[in-house]
Amino acid sequence: MTAATQAPARPVRARAGHLAPPLSFLRLLRIELRRSAMPWLLPLIAVLFWFDSYRPSTGQAPLYVLRTFWNMGQGHTIIDFGPFVAGVAAWMGSRDGRRRTADLVSGTAWPRWTAQLATWAATAIWAVAAYLVFTSVMFAVYASQGVQGQPPWWWVAVGATAVAAFSAAGFAVGVLRPSRFAAPLAAFGGFLAMIMSSQTGFHDSTGWALILPTNSNGNFQPDSGLLYPWLPDLQIARIMLLAGIAIAALGLLGLRARGDGPWLRWLAVAVTAAGVAAAGTAVGLATTARLSADGIVIPALHDAASDRPFSYTPVCGQAAGISVCLSPYYDRWLPEATAALGPVFSEMAGLPGAPVRATQVGAVYNSSDGGGQSMTIGGRPVVLSLSLGALALSDADGRATVDAGGRATVLAEQLRLLAVHAFVGAGNDVGTSAQQAVQAALLQDADVPFAAQPQLLTTSGLPSWAQAEGNGPPGPATGPIYAAARQLAALSPGARRAWLAAHLTALRSGQLTLGLAPTTANPAPKRAHR
Amino acid sequence: MTAADTREPLPGAGSAWPAERHAVAVLRLPWLYLVSRRAPAALGLLAGLAVLLWSALFWHWGISGGRAAQQFISLTIETAAAAVIAVTTYGPFGEPERATGRWLPYLRLGAAVALTAIAYGALAAGATGGALPGGTVALLRNLVGITGIGLLSAAAVGGAFGWTGPLAYLLVTEVALTGNPTTPWLWAARPPDDLGGALCAALLFAAGTAAVTLFGARDSGRRFTPE
Repeated sequence: MTAATQAPARPVRARAGHLAPPLSFLRLLRIELRRSAMPWLLPLIAVLFWFDSYRPSTGQAPLYVLRTFWNMGQGHTIIDFGPFVAGVAAWMGSRDGRRRTADLVSGTAWPRWTAQLATWAATAIWAVAAYLVFTSVMFAVYASQGVQGQPPWWWVAVGATAVAAFSAAGFAVGVLRPSRFAAPLAAFGGFLAMIMSSQTGFHDSTGWALILPTNSNGNFQPDSGLLYPWLPDLQIARIMLLAGIAIAALGLLGLRARGDGPWLRWLAVAVTAAGVAAAGTAVGLATTARLSADGIVIPALHDAASDRPFSYTPVCGQAAGISVCLSPYYDRWLPEATAALGPVFSEMAGLPGAPVRATQVGAVYNSSDGGGQSMTIGGRPVVLSLSLGALALSDADGRATVDAGGRATVLAEQLRLLAVHAFVGAGNDVGTSAQQAVQAALLQDADVPFAAQPQLLTTSGLPSWAQAEGNGPPGPATGPIYAAARQLAALSPGARRAWLAAHLTALRSGQLTLGLAPTTANPAPKRAHR
Repeated sequence: MTAADTREPLPGAGSAWPAERHAVAVLRLPWLYLVSRRAPAALGLLAGLAVLLWSALFWHWGISGGRAAQQFISLTIETAAAAVIAVTTYGPFGEPERATGRWLPYLRLGAAVALTAIAYGALAAGATGGALPGGTVALLRNLVGITGIGLLSAAAVGGAFGWTGPLAYLLVTEVALTGNPTTPWLWAARPPDDLGGALCAALLFAAGTAAVTLFGARDSGRRFTPE
């Protein structure tokens, strides 16, 4: 025997808290991946994803912001995945409890918490991977259809995190309440939570409710990814919230796991606390959010570089000799825009304040202002700033939006209305009675008949002033405003132009009264001023 | 001693099957069946859903939107009740039960119909919390139809996953309600007295109960779901 054998045996360092070697964990994970019930439900989810998320979007104009408003902005991809994932995760989590094998597996080499995390991870990997694949396929189909703009990648990240959070929450339900009813309980609970958050989201455009993944208020702007970048601020906060929920749910399992030793218990406490802190911080950040021209800004998360609009070479056309320039993403609507604005520009030509150019600007959705878009006229030289993002754009097949009265000229009439509204100086308001009368007369002359104007004012995409009380509900174009408008429209083109040239300044300043509107007998009365 | 002698009761023994003992024996099998299907827990969940429906109606929970959207929370609760009924079809015994239980089809049928009736009663009681869209007639139609879907799902993919069919139908309905669906298969979008919707719901319930009665949930001896 050599001296070496007499040397005292070096004590084997106990592996701290039975930390699993990564390779063994991967083996366990591989087994769980093969045993997971999640793949069996993926065909059903795929069908629902197609029916619920993809199919409704195909009726929208081929712009990413419009195509993805329903499935990403309002979170329908999450609604399609989340409840099913929660249900399956609950089923997997309740496995030991249902089979009454919890005590048996507690005696294995693995800490119970680690083994549970492997089961959860397998479910989450299947679910998140499927979510990413389905979403990627949807975007690939969009791309093949010529959909323009940048996809909302941050929303995809939120969706993937939400799916992981659903799996963690469902898994926790299964572990804590192991029964056959754990799965439907988790699934329908998740579904109810999603639709209730939709309810809150529709109502609340500020404050903590913005954190809800199904709330599209403010953060899904009409020209996001087209004229300016998608702002990631709110999405980062949402990811924090959802990741926090997932971490807290998984931490709870460690608190309950038996026979895992005190230090693992403390680790579980720390993990749970970290999850709760992350979720609470996210909600706190959401309360500081404010609406900017490009979307929701959270000061603590905001990067000023995100505010820079995209630079682009516009595509231009001519409308009555005036250049109309749009973003290249909107080039398919350029002929429609020039055709719509031509008659209006013809009326304005030569009058004081008439625009010499029309340029597209980014649209901003503000729910407190009805979510609609305005146009402005100003600058030197005078430029008409027009936004198209929220208007009734024709769909991918070129089908025009049809209003409740069956008219298929909604976009053209909206453009004319907004241009004339800006020209008469009504601003972000319904305007004075005289401004409304002149607006109605100019629209009549631009092929928007009086009879169609009340209906036009109710179409979506227009600012809140269009639905203002002064306009009245859709119905016959009657009353003193339309009576004055008819008088102005009855003038000869030359007489009307002369009247407008004489009174535009007073009209824009709001000093022209309705009762002093012109008549055919008195086409240009100086007494029109108040 | 003849074989007939063995049929004689032992001296001192009373009547072998008194009436009350016979009744207990008759009820024992259904009771064991219901316990094996976790029917008591299902009844508790149905009661909880009834309370939830009452709360939703009493405190006017709702979703922004038109008439169709307004009924969506109550429809979700009705669907959850149908899912609970579908999950009760999951049996843990499989082949031994099917091989020995000649009463099994009747037990399956009776349990499904009884639980549906109890669910309807519970939800109708919950509907007293406020104005249920469509009233209790629509409640009956929705519950019966979606329960049929759940039972069909249980027969096809297993009782443990019987909830997937009702949830999928709910998602389809959610999208369809945003439009103007005309098919009677989306009965939730139709008025309560619509005959087509009622027939479709009844047909699905009949198909679901027939499938579960004759074949049972797929779990029974035909393992499908990897766990």
